[in-house]
Amino acid sequence: MKLTVNGKEHEVDVEDDMPLLWVLRDELGITGPKYGCGIAQCGACTVHVDGIAVRSCQLAAGDLEGEVTTIEGLGTPEAMHAVQAAWVEHQVAQCGYCQSGQIMQAASFLDLNAAPTDDQIDAAMSGNLCRCGSYPRIRAAVKTAARRLQGV
Amino acid sequence: MRGLVCALLIAGTGVSAQTVTREEGMAAWERIFAAASHPRCTNCHVGAQEEPMWEGLSYGTGAVHGMGVKADESRIGAESMPCRACHITAAGRDVASPAAPQIDEAWQLAPVELDWLGTDSATLCAMLRDPDRNDGHDIAGLVEHLESSPFVAWGFAPGPGRSKPPGSVEDMARDVALWGAAGSPCE
Repeated sequence: MKLTVNGKEHEVDVEDDMPLLWVLRDELGITGPKYGCGIAQCGACTVHVDGIAVRSCQLAAGDLEGEVTTIEGLGTPEAMHAVQAAWVEHQVAQCGYCQSGQIMQAASFLDLNAAPTDDQIDAAMSGNLCRCGSYPRIRAAVKTAARRLQGV
Repeated sequence: MRGLVCALLIAGTGVSAQTVTREEGMAAWERIFAAASHPRCTNCHVGAQEEPMWEGLSYGTGAVHGMGVKADESRIGAESMPCRACHITAAGRDVASPAAPQIDEAWQLAPVELDWLGTDSATLCAMLRDPDRNDGHDIAGLVEHLESSPFVAWGFAPGPGRSKPPGSVEDMARDVALWGAAGSPCE
């Protein structure tokens, strides 16, 4: 099958029901998305499909419709996405394992809802678990990113 | 004309056209209610509350959907975390609990007007027979919803680890047609 990831087209020979996360990590070597639970309960594998945050462990390769963006394609060290910049500013990450999923979730969320309330931030991010407990910094970084994206 | 419509409805659902008594209609309603009040239906027919329910799984009575999800006014969670973040739109994926169910339609809550979580039989009956209170459905519309909705189809075949309502899609569609042909009795 063919798929486009971070703007680059790939062709892979995989079973129809292989989860996208496996395709990304094992077939394409794109290891930003992480395996956590495999059942959409933790958010570590979150990527974008046509800009919408999706748990890539749940999406079978044969059901993929749209272009995939992973943390590797969201921004670069030289030109970070506003969410990534806010993450650095607030020093959000501790161990870091969940953070690519957190950032992808936040970026998609702010694209859909540019001026979120605190309750909406909590709701948007509560499907992404962080065993280090970096939630207060995540919330602060999302608010900072929202302000930057609005040009405030 | 109404009788003809009812006869055609029944014919369309495999029931031979005949006069349906009020008693038969009530019996059909009781079967409808047994299915409609099952958590597979009421978990998403939750009205204005933002959270879907997670009853009929292993979390006990009154459990709300995990991960703090809120369907919000969009009913698809667009204001925070869209349902589709976890509920992939795909056909034929028999996903076992506790992973997120997948159907061939965008996952969403039922319209606010079709709120019947915790509703008793007489109240739900009165709601469902009134197009002004059931999101504009006449009996034929209700039958069509049952027969065509991927949500209803999934509800009767929800995959391993999830309880099922009694009967089948076909049974429920036939009962709604019977109930309608009997004049939609509620008591």
